[in-house]
Amino acid sequence: MSKITSSSTAEYFAKNLQQVGFSSPTKAVLTTLKESVDNALDACEENGILPEISINIEKLGKGGEKNTDLVKIVIEDNGPGLKPEDVPRVFGEYLASSKFGRGQCSRGQQGIGISAATTWAQLTNAAGVKVRSKTASMRKAVEMQVDVDIKGNKGIIKKKDSVDWKDKKHGVKIEFKIDGRLQLNGDGGLLTYLEGTSLVNPHLNLNYKVHDKDPVSIARVSEHVPRVPAATLPHPHTMKLGEFMTHTLLYGKIPLKKFLKTAFSRVTDTSINDFVKCGLKKAWLNTPLSKITEVQFKSIFQAIQEAELPNPSTKSVLTVGEDGLAKSIARLGEVDFFSVVTRKPKICDFKPVVVEVAIARFLNRGREDDSIQLLRFANRVPLQFDKSACAITRAVESVNWKSYGLSQSKNSLPQGPYVFAISVTSPFIKFKNASKETIDSSNDLTEELRLAMMQAGQKLSRHIKREAKAADLERKKAHIEKFGPILVEGLALITGASDARKKRATQGLDKILGRDADSAENELAAAEAKLEKQKERQAQKAAQRAQKKAKTATKKKTARKAAPVKKKAVKKAPAKKKTVKKKVVKKKTAKKKATKRR
Amino acid sequence: MATRKTTTRKKQSGTEITKKAKLLCETMLKDLEQANRPVLHAVKCSLDNAFYDSKVGYLTPGDKIVRSELNVSSVQKLARTVFLLDILLNNVDTGAVNTKRELYYMAKGLVKSDKNLKPIDFDEQSESDSIIDFITDMLEVYREEVNCFANDRGGQTYSKQLEVTETLPDGSKAVIDLGSLGTTPFQPKNKPQALKLRAKKKIDFCLVVESEGTANTLVSNGFTQRNKCILMGAQGVPSNGVRGWCKLIQDQLKVPIYFFGDLDAYTMQNIFRTLKAGSAASLIRNSDFSAPDVKFLGVLPEDIKKYDLNYYEVKDKDASELRALKKAKDVLNNDPFFKDKKNKKLADILRFLIKNKIRCEQQALFSVNPKDPLMPEKIILKKIKEKSYI
Repeated sequence: MSKITSSSTAEYFAKNLQQVGFSSPTKAVLTTLKESVDNALDACEENGILPEISINIEKLGKGGEKNTDLVKIVIEDNGPGLKPEDVPRVFGEYLASSKFGRGQCSRGQQGIGISAATTWAQLTNAAGVKVRSKTASMRKAVEMQVDVDIKGNKGIIKKKDSVDWKDKKHGVKIEFKIDGRLQLNGDGGLLTYLEGTSLVNPHLNLNYKVHDKDPVSIARVSEHVPRVPAATLPHPHTMKLGEFMTHTLLYGKIPLKKFLKTAFSRVTDTSINDFVKCGLKKAWLNTPLSKITEVQFKSIFQAIQEAELPNPSTKSVLTVGEDGLAKSIARLGEVDFFSVVTRKPKICDFKPVVVEVAIARFLNRGREDDSIQLLRFANRVPLQFDKSACAITRAVESVNWKSYGLSQSKNSLPQGPYVFAISVTSPFIKFKNASKETIDSSNDLTEELRLAMMQAGQKLSRHIKREAKAADLERKKAHIEKFGPILVEGLALITGASDARKKRATQGLDKILGRDADSAENELAAAEAKLEKQKERQAQKAAQRAQKKAKTATKKKTARKAAPVKKKAVKKAPAKKKTVKKKVVKKKTAKKKATKRR
Repeated sequence: MATRKTTTRKKQSGTEITKKAKLLCETMLKDLEQANRPVLHAVKCSLDNAFYDSKVGYLTPGDKIVRSELNVSSVQKLARTVFLLDILLNNVDTGAVNTKRELYYMAKGLVKSDKNLKPIDFDEQSESDSIIDFITDMLEVYREEVNCFANDRGGQTYSKQLEVTETLPDGSKAVIDLGSLGTTPFQPKNKPQALKLRAKKKIDFCLVVESEGTANTLVSNGFTQRNKCILMGAQGVPSNGVRGWCKLIQDQLKVPIYFFGDLDAYTMQNIFRTLKAGSAASLIRNSDFSAPDVKFLGVLPEDIKKYDLNYYEVKDKDASELRALKKAKDVLNNDPFFKDKKNKKLADILRFLIKNKIRCEQQALFSVNPKDPLMPEKIILKKIKEKSYI
């Protein structure tokens, strides 16, 4: 009989790197870059820092494997920096994350990606990642090489040094040397990724130099650091029985009723009455969690699932915003016209989701008979592979773009020099695989995507209609000049008319056809007026949004000033025990949770 | 809804056509001088403007017209119309004759020699064809009257008794004795109105056979030797020549005319109806290009059983036949010819074909007794004798 052994998480991923985006040398370069940039952006946003990221990618020579190059990838950010003791956990330990299961719209979620990149570097070039880090409290930066201890799922420090990093108050610089191949353009290209990242991060200052291309500097167009909304409590209908029972462990011995009300969102006294109606025994409500048996938990869980509950909150989702997208899209090239739509948060499959769409026509990219360039984003991270299976692609194909003036073959992407940027943001995006390349489609999500695209299409069609009218006017004018004289000449020839009559007829013809051109001009003017109205409406909306923001900011300020007395009054009396309990719980979980950013 | 036009068309001479065209151009020019939009009117030649009266015998136009007012969209069409009209009037004046294809090339030649005309150049013949049709509809003339002839097709005629006298453009006359041609056919021109017919001896009937090949076989087997008749091959959908030729035979010789062709929807609605009552596309010409007295000799539905004729079912893959059957349904509802009570029996044949989805070809007569080459002739004569026709 064969011997049964257990493997570490690192061992599993080291053998299955293809599952997390390292399935080919080309994808390895892109995934390494992507994971590093995601972490840098998340860290900056969490700490309210306007991100500045510099990237340098170059070929150093031949790679170890056949048909590969040795590629150096350097990413430097101005984030808060990592404490020296956190560095090996962040870069060398799998599933050590500060975000796992937190229910926030951060880019990273599980704590796999950057450790996988270190593993790939180690496997292909016998050395992990070189990290330089400096926090605001450090005088000198720390520099070290981190490898992955594959057997023990730990980060190992090699060559640790203390270095001067005078021009940097805080930040992280990482350097990978890996076997890879460079693909710059196309769906899976590095430049496509960088473009996409700059599009959905208007607050990002990005400098990059890729291979033999000229250095590129993309300046930020927004000074506002997006605040990732705090996670909301889980909704009981999004859980499975096992998760539900594990969740109770975080709340110690409190009675069931209290647990249901404090540990979940959308559970009120009314909902608890509904649970009772659906089979939850009233007597159990005051039983401490520790005394409830597994069988009872199952019965409680079933009653909760039976009962109707309001949808989960949509407060936890983050948007780039129409203003940000509108400004950011100009960074991709010379825009002819564009339309952006940010939908209101919506519940799809019991999860809050926001869909944003930016459609732009560029003067200097794309051709009329080519398919549009589709940029897909999930939590502001570009998705670059397996396009056809993605919910976004399917939704684009299912919209009838012809009605908005674009050409399109049946069930395929529309054509023209357009860029379609479509972003899905949600704390719980359902991906098809661990490498997060495609979003799984569901009816709810597809419908929401379609609605957003149709809304953007309607806005876009006004521009296209205006263009069509302008072209029509040109055509009509050209027609008059072309055929008018021939008609008069022909009539004069058949009737034997004099030159004077010919002249009069020509003048008459000009008058008649001029009237037609006038009406075409009027149509064009009407189309332009409609477009202007749309722009005005958009500007008004933006102003209203800004006003609303300012109002809520002042409200919060005044509330803060008035709050301390109230808070003390509320907190002091009943909650002492509770806070102690919570602290205990927090300590327990803190041990379990890792501190790394991804 | 269209109502029937009461005035009947008169044949127009070259001078009359020129005069009418010049007047039209003069009106257009005057309108332009006064900055008014010139309007051109043409008879609408389509089924929704077609009327049928069994007393008249052919499809006539209603009062619907196609109106082309000068605007940005129509200026190209009008410029082209005037341009081609000038060429046609020139032909009428000089007596020159051309086909549509030749006119297309003539137009291209003129455009080539004058760069100002370049915008009205024709990319394809269909473009100049539609303008020529518009001109003839507008002037209410036959294309032959403006010296634009189609290729001569069909109408190969055999007879021992018929003599044809043709008046040539110079006024001289040519007499053709069909009896002296042996098995060589006489083919009528597309302008058969210039022919005069005479029966040297009594002619009993005229037989129009849909298939040119079958007509030829009958002649080779001595049909015209044994019968005092005129035998003609239609060669599919009858051309203007065949239609006008039948009309001449009907009017000048006063002999019964029988049509013998396939039993299928296409033959009934496209070939026989056009021969007997004209077509919707040529509403203004039907008076001279249809022979209302022509009878449908067969193949009749009852012939299949009576003579045990071979037939076959229309299959799903036979797209053209299915199309014809589909059109037949529409024809029964919308074609005034088939809707007329007098033609109920012909409409019943269409209904029979739609219901049974079969077709029986004229050549099926050769299956009755393959050893007797004269059997088809015997059946045809028997049917005429027994008045087995519609």
